[in-house]
Amino acid sequence: MSEDIDPDEMLMVELRGLFTDVDPVPPLVIETAKASLGWRRLDADLAELLSDSALEEEAFAGARGGDAPARAVTFSATGLTIDIEVLVDDPERTLLGQLSPPSPATIEIQTLADAPRSSEADRLGRFRVRLPGGGPIRLRVLGANGQSGPPVETSWITV
Amino acid sequence: MISAANEGDEAAWGAIVDRFAGLVWATARAHRLAPAEAADVAQTTWLRLVENLDRINDPERLGAWLATTARRECLRLIRLHSREAPTGDDSLFEAPLDDRAEQRVIASERNAAVRRAFARINERCQALLRLLAAPESFSYDEIASATGMAIGAIGPTRARCLDQLRRTPELAAFGIG
Repeated sequence: MSEDIDPDEMLMVELRGLFTDVDPVPPLVIETAKASLGWRRLDADLAELLSDSALEEEAFAGARGGDAPARAVTFSATGLTIDIEVLVDDPERTLLGQLSPPSPATIEIQTLADAPRSSEADRLGRFRVRLPGGGPIRLRVLGANGQSGPPVETSWITV
Repeated sequence: MISAANEGDEAAWGAIVDRFAGLVWATARAHRLAPAEAADVAQTTWLRLVENLDRINDPERLGAWLATTARRECLRLIRLHSREAPTGDDSLFEAPLDDRAEQRVIASERNAAVRRAFARINERCQALLRLLAAPESFSYDEIASATGMAIGAIGPTRARCLDQLRRTPELAAFGIG
């Protein structure tokens, strides 16, 4: 038997031992993952992430030249589009938002660590929120389009 | 399990996390993210799954879905940091070792040689081998999703990467493997 051991397999076994020893999943990462079920969307519609300039090649290429343009993110739910620009001035983040169709609404920014921050969108659907630091956030929009439907919650993004 | 988790069943959710935490972590680490960033990627990936629990139509591909989501988040972070200093060659091993782990690692010269040799091979190979050699044995579908490689390319690339590893001075000196 021993002469038949595939040398590739032997090397893989060694690598496997190495990663098990030096790079296990940190317990805190598992704990946080388990806790994330508490963020289930209970009463709201999902506004999906439609586009994110931080994921686009062109924006990336452009950003290399000089000042990075603000990151632009678009979420879309039935009957509501939410555009935000993320301005970073470490550690602070400022979100400039626009609801389409435009309407006043209450915007809640949920973070994992702190109580949500609230902001009001004006008649033109514009809002602005300042966050003390980065991390995962999602927006909860209440009362857009004249209170007709359920609240809308966006996908999580890390800002 | 997915639908139970979607109903708020913590045990079902815990089982999903236990099964796939290694895949999400290895995907982030295969992109050479430091532990703190890999932790952020993992967190965002799991939050994305929570919000999509009612939309996962093919439970068989849950691992691939998670790996794809984690990879996208990695690419975003990498682009964000592209103008900063690149991480060192050894970044897959930046995780602090506890004393026992460290002792186990340096206990064997051969082990230390494999570790140094690994840091020498190209990034694509490091990423692929990191995933292939994860203790959980991921499927090729999952590994393809985690690396952006075609499934058909995994086998041949694996062979080439192991060859590259074997030819590093560190391992060539042992004359085996």
